[in-house]
Amino acid sequence: MIRSGTAVRPPISRGLSDRRLALLLTLPAAILLLTFAVYPFAAAAADSLFRVDFLSGARTFLGLENYLLVLSDPEIRAAFGRSFVWTVTNVVIQATTGVGIALLLNAQLFGQTLARGLVLFPYVVPAIVTALVFQFMFNDVTGLVNYLLVDTHVVRAPISFLADPKTVLWTLIAVNCWKYTPFIVIVVLARLQVVPVELYDAAAIDGAGAWASFCQVTLPWIMPVLLVACLLRTIWTAYEFDLPYLLAFGGPLGASTTVPIEIRTLAFGRQEIGAASALAACAAILLAAGAYFYLRAYRRSEERVE
Amino acid sequence: MLRAIQYVLLLGVLVANVLPLAWIFATAFKPDTEIARYPPTILPHAPTLANFRNLFTISDFGAYLGNSLIVSGVTTGATVLFGMFGAYSVSRFYFPLTRGLGEFALFAYLIPPILVVVPIAQIVIRLHLADNLAALIVIYTAILLPFALWVLRSYFRGLTVDIEQAAMVDGCTRLGAFLRVVVPQATPGLISTGLFTFNAAWSEYLFASVLLPSPDKRTLSPGLVLLMNQTGVYSWGLLMAGAVIVVLPVLVLFVIAQRSLIRGWGAGALAG
Repeated sequence: MIRSGTAVRPPISRGLSDRRLALLLTLPAAILLLTFAVYPFAAAAADSLFRVDFLSGARTFLGLENYLLVLSDPEIRAAFGRSFVWTVTNVVIQATTGVGIALLLNAQLFGQTLARGLVLFPYVVPAIVTALVFQFMFNDVTGLVNYLLVDTHVVRAPISFLADPKTVLWTLIAVNCWKYTPFIVIVVLARLQVVPVELYDAAAIDGAGAWASFCQVTLPWIMPVLLVACLLRTIWTAYEFDLPYLLAFGGPLGASTTVPIEIRTLAFGRQEIGAASALAACAAILLAAGAYFYLRAYRRSEERVE
Repeated sequence: MLRAIQYVLLLGVLVANVLPLAWIFATAFKPDTEIARYPPTILPHAPTLANFRNLFTISDFGAYLGNSLIVSGVTTGATVLFGMFGAYSVSRFYFPLTRGLGEFALFAYLIPPILVVVPIAQIVIRLHLADNLAALIVIYTAILLPFALWVLRSYFRGLTVDIEQAAMVDGCTRLGAFLRVVVPQATPGLISTGLFTFNAAWSEYLFASVLLPSPDKRTLSPGLVLLMNQTGVYSWGLLMAGAVIVVLPVLVLFVIAQRSLIRGWGAGALAG
């Protein structure tokens, strides 16, 4: 047997060369990503310039007509507006309650370990289960929420949370926050557990109260990870399909149709592949801007940690 | 005083988190007449398994369950396997392809499924692969692979290369050292990646609803939507029984592997 002291690389004669092995190990992942991440973007960009027949794939060149349609259609504009409200409200509520819950779970209360486990639970519940149980609980006839509200005289008549165009989007936001706030909690809690105690001691010596030490020590300490977590949540929320769709299917009267739901309706309901692709392209441009900020914040937070 | 407020808040948070789950389970075991009762009963007065029996007899729920198990199981295996290979390459080799894959995985992790579903559906339909579970498995693997690459890459980077090198010096090939030394060390990371993948595939709705049009080919999420529409005035007992079956495996996995899951997901989101 050949012994080569500290050599890392085995002699070529034994097994595959590093180059071949690297190629072999990387290839399946690379092929899958190219086929299902790179190609679809290229295909959508191309399709957005054509009228595409859904079944045959036959194309008629339209130029930018699909984009003009997408940007001028009042329904689609309304969907952009809803997506904006949906995303901003969701992220703001999740960030603030998420930080609050993380602080609560880090306050050395009795039962903390159990509470930490239970609080994370909504995050793993499948969207269909979340949708089913909240449709049931928010139902105007048999729903538990309406029963409690009427019984405690908070409202006089049951509210049709999901069936009223005025309340549906806010109800969806509430349910979405229930499911995804734990993400912020996980991230912030992990960070809170490693705050250097000296920082608080120093703040205390300077005479800082609870609020001041929160602002001067805790908040700056959690900020890098909170920022990245919020950007991730912004991207995922803006393009989220499953939960809002399963709760209200875009209705009633389109009142919960956000951009992702509109894309699906255009493509698979009205079979307008070109218009759907143009809308997806517009959404992708917004995503690219978001991803740019995400990467920048990520690098910066990494630098700060080092 | 502050402590009292904190405990009240904590209790409020816990109730909000657990109540919906408890309500699913309570309702699933109530007969329809009891579900419609006003005021509602909290625990079932006359617990029954009728909802579960009906679920399997009047609907294709058994088929949905089987399809979901196949799709999620195979997807998990494939994602962990290819993710493990790719992440090892990315963390140990510095060839252009491996480096490109490492950087691209972060970007691909952010791609929202809704932006790629239309072109992917067109390919699948034109290749006459609609209703084909294998096509769905390939797509799920591709979608979930970036996360696996990302988490496992940081996991492999954290492992010391000394033992691996010692094994190679002692006559192991690199592949042998990878399989015999690195993989056993990385088992906790592989398990948490697998659980995440399983949960994601088990819960997915968008692709499944588009690519599996026939009722008996559906997975659980689109299957339950079909059931929801068919029952008209919703039969909540039936639907909650379905929800129990969908959420149960997730709960079991979650309880078993909670610690490693939280560590892995935190790492996946934020660590390099």
